[in-house]
Amino acid sequence: MSQTPPQTPLRPMSPHLQIWRFHITMFTSILHRATGLALVVGAVLVAAWLLAIGITAAGICPQAYTAFLIFAKSPFGLLVWFGLSLAGFLHLTGGLRHLIWDMAIGFQLKSANALAWWGLIGGIVLTVIFWVVLFTTGKVVL
Amino acid sequence: MVDSYLRQRSSKDWKKSEKHGAGEWLAERWTSVALIVLTGWALWSAFGLMNQGYEAALAFVKAPVNAGLMALTFVITVWHTYMGLNANLLDYFPNSRALKLLNLLFCLVLLAAALSGLFLAFKA
Repeated sequence: MSQTPPQTPLRPMSPHLQIWRFHITMFTSILHRATGLALVVGAVLVAAWLLAIGITAAGICPQAYTAFLIFAKSPFGLLVWFGLSLAGFLHLTGGLRHLIWDMAIGFQLKSANALAWWGLIGGIVLTVIFWVVLFTTGKVVL
Repeated sequence: MVDSYLRQRSSKDWKKSEKHGAGEWLAERWTSVALIVLTGWALWSAFGLMNQGYEAALAFVKAPVNAGLMALTFVITVWHTYMGLNANLLDYFPNSRALKLLNLLFCLVLLAAALSGLFLAFKA
């Protein structure tokens, strides 16, 4: 057994979906990564919004802002905004959880699970409140 | 024997962050704290601009404070995004320089698009 193995066995790639039994901290960890990736779409859309204002104002493409609004107000657009708000609030609570952990607090199994649950519930509640406000103030009309 | 073989492999294949110290780790944290404030401000502003039309959006962007904060928000967002995407790449494609370069290019294009839109609106 002193010989070097001819090939190092292939290790599972992070986040080890193949070998992990489900638990809430694993779920929120994956969720934090997934929401972070989803928010790249949000950054692209906000950049598109700025670009649409810019090229409309500069007269390069006067219809650009109208085109952006047609997308933003469409049912598909609203679905995208809803998804982004959910991803944003979950990434916010997930990020806060990480910042708490970075202060070396909350690593006990019990508190880690509680933080995961509160982050998950908090993100969903914030999203629901946000959309209730949008509808009740008439900002979004279906 | 096995240990040294693994170490050799790890130095080549595994996460590279340890090679540039705590700087990236700290940058991830500081950008995230800054983004809580900046995206909060951006969301509040977006809420105010919703359903107000093009003129209101243009007037918002033309105010120097808003333009400056928007630019700052984008610089930090793109920085945070770059580090986040890189963390993903390191996990799944640790050796791909092409993907790392693609990530950098994507982030630069995203930043350039946002800043040029902001600049055009501001100058108009």
